[in-house]
Amino acid sequence: MSLWVDKHRPRDLMKLDFHKDQAVRLKSLVQQSDFPHLLVYGPSGAGKKTRIMCLLRELYGSGVERLRQETMTFTTPSNKKVEIMTVSSNYHIEVNPTDVGIYDRVVIMDLVKNVAQTHQIDSSGQKEFKVVILNEVDDLTKDAQHALRRTMEKYVATCRLILIANSISRVIPAIRSRCLTIRVPAPTENEIASVLQLVCKKECLNLPPELALRIAKAADRNLRRALLMCEACKVQQYPFTPDQKIPEPDWQQFIRETANIILSEQSPKKLSEVRQKLYELIIHGVPPDMIFSGLLKELVRNCDMAMKCQVASHAASYEHRMRLGNKPIFHLEAFVAKFMSIYKKFVEESLGDAF
Amino acid sequence: MKKEKWFKPMFEFDDDVPKQKSSKGEETFVNTNSKANQVLDSTSKTCSIVIKDHKNWIKSFEPVTVEDLAVNNKKIQEVDEWIKSVCNKNNGDMLLLTGPVGCGKTITIKVLAAKHKVRVTEWITPLDIDIPSENGEYEYKQKQSLKFLDFILNAANFTSLLDDNSRKLVLVEDFPNTFIRTPSEFTDVLHQYKFRAKSPIIFICSESHMDGKNTSANLFTPGLKEQFSIQHIMFNSVAPTNLKSALKRVAAIINQKHKLIYNTPTTDVVDCVVNSSVGDVRSAVLNLHFACLKGGSKQNMDTSIVLEKETKGKGNKKKKQSSSKFMALGKDQTVSILHGVGRVLNPKVIDAENGKKKFTHSPEAIIEQFISQPSSFINFLEENYLPHFACIDHVENATSALSDADFMLAEWREKSCQEHGLYIAVAGLMLANKSPVSAWNPVRGPKNMRIQYPSVRELQLEENNLYKGKVLVVDYQTYCKIIGKESGT
Repeated sequence: MSLWVDKHRPRDLMKLDFHKDQAVRLKSLVQQSDFPHLLVYGPSGAGKKTRIMCLLRELYGSGVERLRQETMTFTTPSNKKVEIMTVSSNYHIEVNPTDVGIYDRVVIMDLVKNVAQTHQIDSSGQKEFKVVILNEVDDLTKDAQHALRRTMEKYVATCRLILIANSISRVIPAIRSRCLTIRVPAPTENEIASVLQLVCKKECLNLPPELALRIAKAADRNLRRALLMCEACKVQQYPFTPDQKIPEPDWQQFIRETANIILSEQSPKKLSEVRQKLYELIIHGVPPDMIFSGLLKELVRNCDMAMKCQVASHAASYEHRMRLGNKPIFHLEAFVAKFMSIYKKFVEESLGDAF
Repeated sequence: MKKEKWFKPMFEFDDDVPKQKSSKGEETFVNTNSKANQVLDSTSKTCSIVIKDHKNWIKSFEPVTVEDLAVNNKKIQEVDEWIKSVCNKNNGDMLLLTGPVGCGKTITIKVLAAKHKVRVTEWITPLDIDIPSENGEYEYKQKQSLKFLDFILNAANFTSLLDDNSRKLVLVEDFPNTFIRTPSEFTDVLHQYKFRAKSPIIFICSESHMDGKNTSANLFTPGLKEQFSIQHIMFNSVAPTNLKSALKRVAAIINQKHKLIYNTPTTDVVDCVVNSSVGDVRSAVLNLHFACLKGGSKQNMDTSIVLEKETKGKGNKKKKQSSSKFMALGKDQTVSILHGVGRVLNPKVIDAENGKKKFTHSPEAIIEQFISQPSSFINFLEENYLPHFACIDHVENATSALSDADFMLAEWREKSCQEHGLYIAVAGLMLANKSPVSAWNPVRGPKNMRIQYPSVRELQLEENNLYKGKVLVVDYQTYCKIIGKESGT
């Protein structure tokens, strides 16, 4: 199945649809045939990876698009074997070190070492270095990040690292300073709408501009989601009408239902029901921070201004603890319980006022 | 003084050691030892009695007849029947006895063997330290497993010249190390034994539930047991009533023979010892010895005061809360994780003397039990605490305590953080629950929170899709379903 998102992804730096100025700079960066380590950051669906792939293509030619998947095995100091999926071409290798949880340090050290120790065989006309792409660097453990700092310095001759993160606030300063940081901001709604129009034109479809804007709004300035939404809209109803229904990600619906349970009754019994829902969300891989923000958004709708402020401040503190802690469910539940308690008081007071 | 023997045996097997030891020698010995204490002659005499008697004092309490055994009657019967049935057959029959430490496995065999007039030969693994001979060469050594096999075969097949008893039994309690490393060798030895031996053999393994290095589980696999038709009898730890009667017997012996060293134990002390030794007869006897020691002699003043205090303290405590079970005289009582969870989630408050309230199980005592595994205990608490709360406001305090605890536990490099984290969780939950719901709630294990990301294939995407994991869930999944459904039909 070839989706629009994948089919119409720009492959050349010059064909990007937005942040064109940055694209020109990136092009001139690699024209000098070498570049420093990169740290590319920005919100999800802003085009970080698209830019990186364009960059690699600029650097190595179309060979980088011949990808293969491999499972690599690493041995931890405690003699435990961890497996990780890698995607690689002849010129680069991409991994998601957070897949192995707390063993990410081992993966980073060994993988970079492996890659860096093998030189390019055919160096005629090629670059002397390979590229290692690490995803979700902001979710790496502190240990792994420190290990990364050392490896970055050590193997700079034979490999370049491209790090991808959503936010650099959780990347340690030592890494930030060793990389050229490139920010890829989320496209504006108008930019998304124009990309949607462009794609639809390529697909020979007619997209009403109102619908394009509505999709852009619904997608939360996430271009990938917008394109998927648009294609789903097309599948559900074509020709498009400006006010047709836009399908929403199912986890968002799920979070909304959960929020409704919270609002319906504030008791320990309901809380245990909510906990089951939260478990389900986490186990299916919805990131806890998105659950947090989704819940908050739904819950504050039913609050007055003073309470909104109170709830938001509690949400912030629990979310921060979740980042520092190990078990997201503890903090999600703590927030829900806190909200229930505040909300119950609020309801009781307003009922008291009514009589 | 002159009655001293010219030859002092190095190894004394007999219980009745020559009573007439050089009392003077003893005295000087004591004197040099306790100069600081300024020993008086009279006290040193009692002391010499102690030394004379204490050599085999635990032996004098050993059960003599089957009725004296503290083991469950049914189990004794089982073993008894086995010995009866096997002794006259001249086969290499095998029996495996397992059970926790100090539940009376070995003594049961000894007593029953005496009853049936069977001679027991026990294997004890020799020390094998390589000592070079005079010219610096190392002696050739037989393999440990061969030595073992030779021994048990000889013990099984040949009668000692010194007695005419034809019935024999081989006992193995101390397994050579080599078998633990290579269990296959053990299988070979058993094979040989089965074919060549003419006497039954008994293996005794103490087992602890905790560690993976359980001899009985490692060596005696179910397959092995079947292959050699080894009968397996499992002992449980001794029941409190049996333990009590055994201790009463010990108390009676003390009354008869050892009045000089011991105070006669009161029932209170016996109760206390029974409670503290968790079904372990051996440690119970040791504890009783400790609890009843006479502290009268001046020379032992310092320690005896402490002892007295200790026993008194225990006794007082016992009176205060007679319902509570553990009175740590000897062993620490182990609290299972389920017990611990129960204690935290159903906090019971009692009035203390000074008008304040306190918990029956203090949070400090609980965390002490689980300090080695804080995070798993907290996970258990987290999973189970909700049904015990009645009001959401209480839950709010509890969850915020748990959230704090998780935050603290994340700092694994700092040991004290773990402890404080656990304390916050336990104390927080206990204090937050102002009106516990008392209902029967089965304790559930913590949920497995392994995230299952959808695979690329599941979503009908190309193998080399640029994204994996989170992005697939958050963005692709819903729409792939919608789009895939359409293109499928």
